[in-house]
Amino acid sequence: MSIIIKHWRSTGLPSNFNLRIWRLHSTNADVAAKKGEEEEEFRVLDILKKRDRVQRRVARRNDVQPDRAERMAPDQNWGNVWPGPKTFHPSSVPLPLHQGYVPKGQAPPGKKANAELMKIPNFLHLTPPVIKAQCEAIKQFCTEWPKQLNSEEAIETHYPVEIISSDYCHASPTIRNPLSRIVTLRVKLSTLNLDKHSRDKFLRLVGDRYDEQTDLVTITADRCPVKKQNLEYVDYLLTACYHESLNVEEWEKDKTEDDMEYYDWHKNASKKSLVQWFLRTNNEVCDLNDDDYVQYDVSQIPNAEGYEKAVSSLMNDGESEETVNNYAIAVRKLLGVPEKKIVT
Amino acid sequence: MYSNIILPTRWSRFTCFCRSLSSIEGQKLPQSSKSSDGISPPPRIQRGPTDILQALASTVGPDPTAAHYKYHDDPYLIPLSNYRKRAYALSAEAGRKAAAWIRDEHAELFTTREWDPPGKTKTPYFNADPKIDAFTPRPIYNDESTVTEEDLKHTIQNALLEDSVKVFQLLGGIDGVADYNLKLSFLQLLCFYNEKEPDSMEWLEERWFSANTRDRHAATWKLGGLADKIFASLEQKTSEAYCTIIQGMAKHYQAKRAHMLCQEAIEQGIPLSTSTFNGLLGCIGFLKEGTSLRVEALKQLLAQMEEQGLTPNEETLTSCLRSISAWGGGKILQQLAQQIIIEFRKLGIQPGLSAYYYLLCLYCKERGPRIDILSIILTDLEKREKLIPQDVTDTNFFITAMGVCSDHLQNINLAERLHALLMKGDNYKLVGDAYKESIYYRHFVTVACRHASFERTTQLLDTLVPNVYVPEPTVMEEIIKTLEVAGAGDRLAQAWSQLVVFGIANRTKLVERLLQAMCNCYEYQSDDIKAKIRNAASDIIKYGQLTDEEIQNANKQDRRSPQQKLSADAMANIVALCSDVKEKSEPDWDTVSEALNRLKRNEAAGVPSKPQVLADMAQTAASMGKLGIAATALKYLAECGFEEAMPASVQTLGVILNRPQQDVETMLQQRGDLERTLHPSALAVLDAYYLAKSGGTSRDAASSTSSESDNESSTSDDE
Repeated sequence: MSIIIKHWRSTGLPSNFNLRIWRLHSTNADVAAKKGEEEEEFRVLDILKKRDRVQRRVARRNDVQPDRAERMAPDQNWGNVWPGPKTFHPSSVPLPLHQGYVPKGQAPPGKKANAELMKIPNFLHLTPPVIKAQCEAIKQFCTEWPKQLNSEEAIETHYPVEIISSDYCHASPTIRNPLSRIVTLRVKLSTLNLDKHSRDKFLRLVGDRYDEQTDLVTITADRCPVKKQNLEYVDYLLTACYHESLNVEEWEKDKTEDDMEYYDWHKNASKKSLVQWFLRTNNEVCDLNDDDYVQYDVSQIPNAEGYEKAVSSLMNDGESEETVNNYAIAVRKLLGVPEKKIVT
Repeated sequence: MYSNIILPTRWSRFTCFCRSLSSIEGQKLPQSSKSSDGISPPPRIQRGPTDILQALASTVGPDPTAAHYKYHDDPYLIPLSNYRKRAYALSAEAGRKAAAWIRDEHAELFTTREWDPPGKTKTPYFNADPKIDAFTPRPIYNDESTVTEEDLKHTIQNALLEDSVKVFQLLGGIDGVADYNLKLSFLQLLCFYNEKEPDSMEWLEERWFSANTRDRHAATWKLGGLADKIFASLEQKTSEAYCTIIQGMAKHYQAKRAHMLCQEAIEQGIPLSTSTFNGLLGCIGFLKEGTSLRVEALKQLLAQMEEQGLTPNEETLTSCLRSISAWGGGKILQQLAQQIIIEFRKLGIQPGLSAYYYLLCLYCKERGPRIDILSIILTDLEKREKLIPQDVTDTNFFITAMGVCSDHLQNINLAERLHALLMKGDNYKLVGDAYKESIYYRHFVTVACRHASFERTTQLLDTLVPNVYVPEPTVMEEIIKTLEVAGAGDRLAQAWSQLVVFGIANRTKLVERLLQAMCNCYEYQSDDIKAKIRNAASDIIKYGQLTDEEIQNANKQDRRSPQQKLSADAMANIVALCSDVKEKSEPDWDTVSEALNRLKRNEAAGVPSKPQVLADMAQTAASMGKLGIAATALKYLAECGFEEAMPASVQTLGVILNRPQQDVETMLQQRGDLERTLHPSALAVLDAYYLAKSGGTSRDAASSTSSESDNESSTSDDE
């Protein structure tokens, strides 16, 4: 008996269930059909009734106060309202600001809910009165400026060494920036007491750190992790280079013409040829050795000084239209060839 | 080294060019004291690491429109009620606490440091970023951990009481720790905190909003606790050990043991410190009963101090006065206090804020005679350049002094002086905590409302409310009174929105008081302010409705405080305010009818005390064609059995029919005729008349007809 009952139940329940589902479905279809008449849409089987679920209304708070910008007195101290750098906030800035894309025939978007205004960094915390007040406040930590350092030139003569370093300010978990360790030292070469030899040696030591146009030697150090260490290191570098350039080593005497850093006309073949040519034209015997050539006074030779200059500048300054022209003129003068005539 | 680190792009970079005076032959540093040669810079002015920041901060003053900086500067997030202030600040701190909890739970995840290049994380100090102890996870001590005396030192230095006790036990207890100094410092820690974990210094907001504002003045010292045991176990009891245990006991009011130990030490010839005696002086009240005995004990202790060759300090004065002020009032004690102060002055010891606080407690009793010692105290304090906090009770001074200004002396000038002193320099930190701050301002605003000029009061309210201080209901009532007296209708209308914002709009008494104040100064306001007041009045009714709906929604959740009803007087006030309009189409009439309906449905407590208001309103309503409202008002009057009902209904009928009063009275003699000719809503007025005439006997019948006529009247109104 019990088995039968069970069996009956087992068959009965699903059928009931089916029936219910069917009914549900039919009502759904009815609803959908009604909707479909209104808006032409595919009917969707909505079993969970997601659509009909009423969205919970979010209660609006009724105690939100108006913007505090409206309560601000016109003669307030703005520095108190906006004391430090921060992102723009419309409710605390009493200005009718507009920013952003302008649709045709409309005003630009206002300050509320305006991401454009929030994106750009603002300087509302650095108004002129605030800057003035802050300067007054930190004046107590400032010492007097030395009186004689009243011009750029005075500063340059008294403080020839220039140190350049950077500090960084940014929003991240750490206030430290590895780039701030880099230290650059600049000094004018003319301010260093160097003679001809030591100057040459110094330039060879610093290599491309010397800029001829500005006469500046720039030494940069970034190999130590901390700025102070780098600072000490550039100091050391300058000192070491300077003192090394003052030394004269034994092997420096072995310097040949090929090692010269500039073209010395007196030591070169050009002078030799000139002297030989001059002696030959005067039918003199030329039995000079190398030293005699160097010592030979070219002022006896007419126009030789101009030639010397032209050759030196051609070799030292490089080949350009001007130097070549000068050379041509000097050679014509030397050889007594008439000047070049420009045919018009 | 840093080449593989991606650098964020938003940096501002300050490049500094500096020229240093350095000749090549060796650095010539500016050593001379002055720039005597006019070339070398003068010596650097010495400054601390935060001096510049403080100088810059001193240029920023208070901003009355802004909330405290710990809150977000946004209209939706600026807290305007005391509850919200507390909730927002504590929620922010709860976030920090959660972060700290995660840090401690998962300590192994927080070993990497910023800017540590990947792959090099094992190296302890690879870069210039310093290790900050506060950001690192705390060590956890449990039964399994192996500890050394170093751990004990560390926990003692950081005042981690429970951890230090654990470490102490792990080290083997009293016998395990051999180092005498370590034992002593552990004893000091235990004595100072009475073996209770102190509130962490880290959670500022919790301390600010904590409710335990008053210490318990009871013997809380743990007898036979670890401190006692350690002290007993010390083989050689030095003066330091005695001082420690005596001060600990005195601090936690175990007076008898403390005095016993003190005598013991003196007998053994062990020198005691001044602060030990200060502690003992502070707990004399727990030792002896009766004023004379106590005074004697006090003097004896002071004499003992002298015997020991100890010079008293400011703390001695404070603890003497503390003891005296705790023994009640009376001339004798006041004179004693005066003597003590004079003697200490001779020694060159000036009383601090705590001493003055105890003096105020002693002199300015609530029901005692008025003694103006506050002005002397203020003159003294104003002379001082800086008020240096020395004692925990220093924070009690300003709140007590303001209380004295408000309740005892009722003097606004003193209150202003006191407030100026609090605002001077860095003194605001002496205000204590949130609770004390709010009491301070409660007293200040109360005394200003009562005794200051109206301009000053409003100026004060504008700067304080709501960002610094949110008035409590009692203070709000005081403010409303002041506004009423000054006849500031505009501010009264604002006061309602303030009530809503402060979260005290459901205080029925306050709202009733506000309505009454509005009514009282309604007449002599300009038209636009009148409109504002009417708006506020209708808002009050609507606010009630809103909460009614909410109650219906949340009916099943049991509400602990059921909404109190506004009184009938308040309703009558609303009716009086809102009926003063010139147009039939004004929305204020809806408010009037709503108020009347509430009166009729008995939703307002009591009956109106001035029924004439309703009678007058009925006439006005009738003259504007709002017959339904007029009829409802008259019927209500009649039902309540007011005498005014009858003449009022006659007059109203007169207005409706446009006849003089006598005519109406004669017409009323023939009831049937009138009933046939009248408009149904006028009939309701007639009903009211007969009801009033019969003295409310046929109440049931009247109410049934009235409801019918009501419906009709309302429909006719809509037309």
